[in-house]
Amino acid sequence: MRISPLKDRFAAQGAVLRERYGMEVVARVTDKQTECRAVRDAVGLADFSFTRKYRIPAAQGLDFLDLLLAGNVPKIRFGRVLHTFLADDDGRLVGDCYVANNDEEFILLCESIVPDAEIDRVMQASGAAAAGVEDLTTSHVLLSLDGFKAWEIAKEIFGADVLGLPYLSIEVYPFQGQSVHLFRAGKTSEFGYLLLVPQAVAPALFDTLASAVEKRGGRLCGMDAHDDLRLEGRFFNIHAEGLSVRDPLVLGLQWMIDFDKENFRGCEAIKRRRAQGLQKKIVGVAAEHGCNQLVTGAHIFHDGRAVAEVVADAFSVVLEQPLGLAVFPVELAYSGLAFRLAAAGGPAVRTISMPPIMPKSLTVKLDEM
Amino acid sequence: MADDMQATIERRARIIRTFKEELIRRLNLPYAPEDLHEDISLLGSGLGLDSLDALEIILCIEGCFKIKIPDENIAVLRSINTVVDFVIEQQDRKGVAA
Repeated sequence: MRISPLKDRFAAQGAVLRERYGMEVVARVTDKQTECRAVRDAVGLADFSFTRKYRIPAAQGLDFLDLLLAGNVPKIRFGRVLHTFLADDDGRLVGDCYVANNDEEFILLCESIVPDAEIDRVMQASGAAAAGVEDLTTSHVLLSLDGFKAWEIAKEIFGADVLGLPYLSIEVYPFQGQSVHLFRAGKTSEFGYLLLVPQAVAPALFDTLASAVEKRGGRLCGMDAHDDLRLEGRFFNIHAEGLSVRDPLVLGLQWMIDFDKENFRGCEAIKRRRAQGLQKKIVGVAAEHGCNQLVTGAHIFHDGRAVAEVVADAFSVVLEQPLGLAVFPVELAYSGLAFRLAAAGGPAVRTISMPPIMPKSLTVKLDEM
Repeated sequence: MADDMQATIERRARIIRTFKEELIRRLNLPYAPEDLHEDISLLGSGLGLDSLDALEIILCIEGCFKIKIPDENIAVLRSINTVVDFVIEQQDRKGVAA
């Protein structure tokens, strides 16, 4: 099992660890709801080192990445990041990817739902060696700093120009003589920064960040909280609905695909399904306060029969109610409809428009700070 | 299916279709209306539109539905569904026939 170099630091804070596809991840450090509130109201620091990380020289890597991923890699402007995915030959999701154009190199971050050996096989079969791909997965750590006050910490450590970075961009900053790749990204709907850090300075940067987080009333966070935050902000979560559904079209991920590309992994299968037309679609759902039946795998009923299945669930600390995502037939896949949960006479559940919350970060204007 | 649910779906589907078609036309998006999930984020992530595009979306809503978006209500633009909710709410307030 792959283990994060920062495991001991999280364990010292009482972190509960668990396995995800052969990788050990921090599930939680305190409890999920406390960690979610920390991100919404202050800031959270999490270890995303389970992510696969690669450096690819731009000259050889461009074609390699463009053939590998669904999005249009040549169109990524310098300093910007593309959010796209890696599929298998059947056009089913394998990884949720950020690709950054950093001048002479591309940086690929891939949250995968298959074991490392399978990703390695895909990379090699796609020509990773000829493209000069350097695997940074074990040589680097990936930290995620998210929250309403995350920008304050990024500014304090890396300087005020961090505030000028647009969403989905990359910049490199020095830290104790090493280069830290900072991605302005995040999937919580609050300010988010992913920090790709060489192992040599990762513990020192972690300690600096953790101290700054604590000073602002924030917390260390685990993946359980991040799963809920993603759903609450309606960011795609490959570990939840992605794993349950795996079809990018049903999941509404067409925006990650360049349909004009002639080829990428899974291209033929995805285009064939697109031409056939969608039969099912993912929709946000919300249950009444106190309902404990909105859980992944539960069925949603209409006119006495099951019409949809819940594929992801979360408790919204902002709305104080259970939320979920469910796959409906397209003719019922609309916001604002009332159904029953778990049985024909079960508790009420409604389809809702996403995102259902207004994050505090949207009230902050970084260019005025 | 109950008549009121069918009516709700038909009304919403009409508004969604109108908005998506106009959005694709105005912004020259490389997608068919069916490709745009209604929860897709319009600004930032998702479609990744910028502040100039946001202005175009506002004009699109005004052109399609004769509804103005107040400056302080820019959160309406977060997804296609939030736009459609706003349109329905405004139509109901004005007594526009469904």
